[in-house]
Amino acid sequence: MDLTRAELAVLNGEEGEGKQKAMELITALGKIYGAENLIDITSAHLSGASYKTIGDGGLKYLEDMVSGNAKVSVNSTLNPVGMDRTRWKEMHITEEFAEKQNRIIELYGKMGVKTTCSCTPYVGPNVPKFKDHVAWAESSALSFVNSFIGARTNREGGPGALAAAILGKTANYGLHLDENRKPTAVIDADIDGSIFSYSLLGQAVGMAIGSGVPYFRNIRPEVEEAKTLSAAMAASGSVALYHAEGVTPEAKNFDVSDLETIHIGKQELQNAYDKLNKTDDIQLIAIGCPHLTEKEMHQIASFLKGKEKRNKDIEIWFCTSAAIRDKCPDDVRIMERFGPVLADTCMVVAPIEGSFERTGTNSAKAGNYLPTLCSQKAMCRDISALMEMVM
Amino acid sequence: MIFEGRTISPGKAKGEVIKIDEPLSFLGGVNGSTGDINVKGGNVAGKILVFPKGKGSTVGSFVMYDLKVHGKQPAAVINESAEVIVATGAVISSIPMVDQIPSIRLFEDGDIVTVDADNGTIDIEGISFKEIVSSVVSTGGRCILLKRPESNRSYPGHWSLVAGKIEEGESPEEAARREIMEETSIEVGEPIGNMDPLYVREGKTLFKVYPFHFDSKGKEPILNEENEAFTWASIDDISSMKTVTDTDKVMRYFLR
Repeated sequence: MDLTRAELAVLNGEEGEGKQKAMELITALGKIYGAENLIDITSAHLSGASYKTIGDGGLKYLEDMVSGNAKVSVNSTLNPVGMDRTRWKEMHITEEFAEKQNRIIELYGKMGVKTTCSCTPYVGPNVPKFKDHVAWAESSALSFVNSFIGARTNREGGPGALAAAILGKTANYGLHLDENRKPTAVIDADIDGSIFSYSLLGQAVGMAIGSGVPYFRNIRPEVEEAKTLSAAMAASGSVALYHAEGVTPEAKNFDVSDLETIHIGKQELQNAYDKLNKTDDIQLIAIGCPHLTEKEMHQIASFLKGKEKRNKDIEIWFCTSAAIRDKCPDDVRIMERFGPVLADTCMVVAPIEGSFERTGTNSAKAGNYLPTLCSQKAMCRDISALMEMVM
Repeated sequence: MIFEGRTISPGKAKGEVIKIDEPLSFLGGVNGSTGDINVKGGNVAGKILVFPKGKGSTVGSFVMYDLKVHGKQPAAVINESAEVIVATGAVISSIPMVDQIPSIRLFEDGDIVTVDADNGTIDIEGISFKEIVSSVVSTGGRCILLKRPESNRSYPGHWSLVAGKIEEGESPEEAARREIMEETSIEVGEPIGNMDPLYVREGKTLFKVYPFHFDSKGKEPILNEENEAFTWASIDDISSMKTVTDTDKVMRYFLR
């Protein structure tokens, strides 16, 4: 790899051990992916925030980074953690878990990371611009900024994104390069346009193509739909970038006439639904994967207004960021009659397996990860169908 | 024997090999506190850990860090092709790591290996090295297999492709043609295919095998004293036969 004199100095430890380690990691990753050089980034978003996922090894790693004086040099935000910072007792979290989780948040803060603890930083504290190079972890968020905004990032892992944030640079390969942003298949989508239909569409496309860059026809996603679609395709497959004709900023750059067309209609959506639904009986309904936006909070509150939760056996969690929860006090009041509106966390990264065995969600992403990361039997339906189960 | 690889994580180490033949997920595959390997017996602590590549959850990087915290980390890691999870774990845990070695088949458990990850090289102590050829001589989807006598030192009683040692000054292709002539009396023309060399260990000997594909041109083999029988076999036939390592792999490559 071609490193500048300044980059080589960092690699040789002339700017301290913290930066040297970061440079070792970025250059190792660059080698693996055949990068020729490093590029400057404008922002980073970090995963590896929940104590449940990173464990004691991850916690010690962060302690050591902080003792080595590691500091991020670009706008950096943090993924959801394993609990709501203030309401963790309502989530059946143990004292020990809470203590370690709080320490992790504190350590990221010491490195200069904004401890927003949300998977949708692009609706607030971290909004890349078109053509910005960035280093983002969190598969749903990075796919959103690649696709809907036209910023450029690979699928970073937690330590890789942190190293990039420290250096303000990442290795130049993959989706940072024009040639890898070309569509690989056309998706002829026949959906009803509801939010839930975007979950199933994403699930079906991930199942059909695995990885690659889909080019959608016949869909008009706005922020919420794009968020849902990004999350679903990144979980059922490993899609990190897509284009939607007439919607996303890069779609007009490509001639797709020679590409294979895949039709996603009633049958494919049904197969996707069947794949996500493995139980009819649930103990928890978890909404907000990815985190609910302000618009979704209003929609849910207006649906729930004047209704009553009769079924006391099923708990409900709504997940969003602290910033959005603070912005919507009226919605929160209505929603809280059904269940806590939790900030900083979600059903996937919280240790729900200690308290529940069967969980319902409206998210295809959660539908994929609840069985693998949380040992849950999952149900995946639209919000109104889930809510009607408790009314 | 020194082999060239590529630096992933710098440093130097010497130790005893423990090898895992399948892609490894550190999460679930190795206990971060004890170093015990869950997918086979043994422990990674202080060992030269050899496996083809990483897989699984990205949390695996932190399991490697956990090993380091507990003093149970491997002395070095060797992969055929590094991927992000293990590379990340090795770098953040300061474990020397090399990839792009020719094959994990260079190694056996217990080998003493020196890893110089600063220069991307590995040195396996006390093994001898032989280069051999192994040819598929075929017509219409079937190729010649030769049966080695029970008294043979290498793979006694096994069925083999037309194989033999490369002699000094010979190119692999010349050796392949000569062996076919000696063992079957068939004179073959230019090879119609070749594949990347394979590595096979038999005890302390490491074989580098150059596979070739030739057309038999419709001729029947006439054996010399080295083999006791021959047959024309298809890929389907060999599942029930006792064959030399990689016979199926090479036949599949050329005949499918």
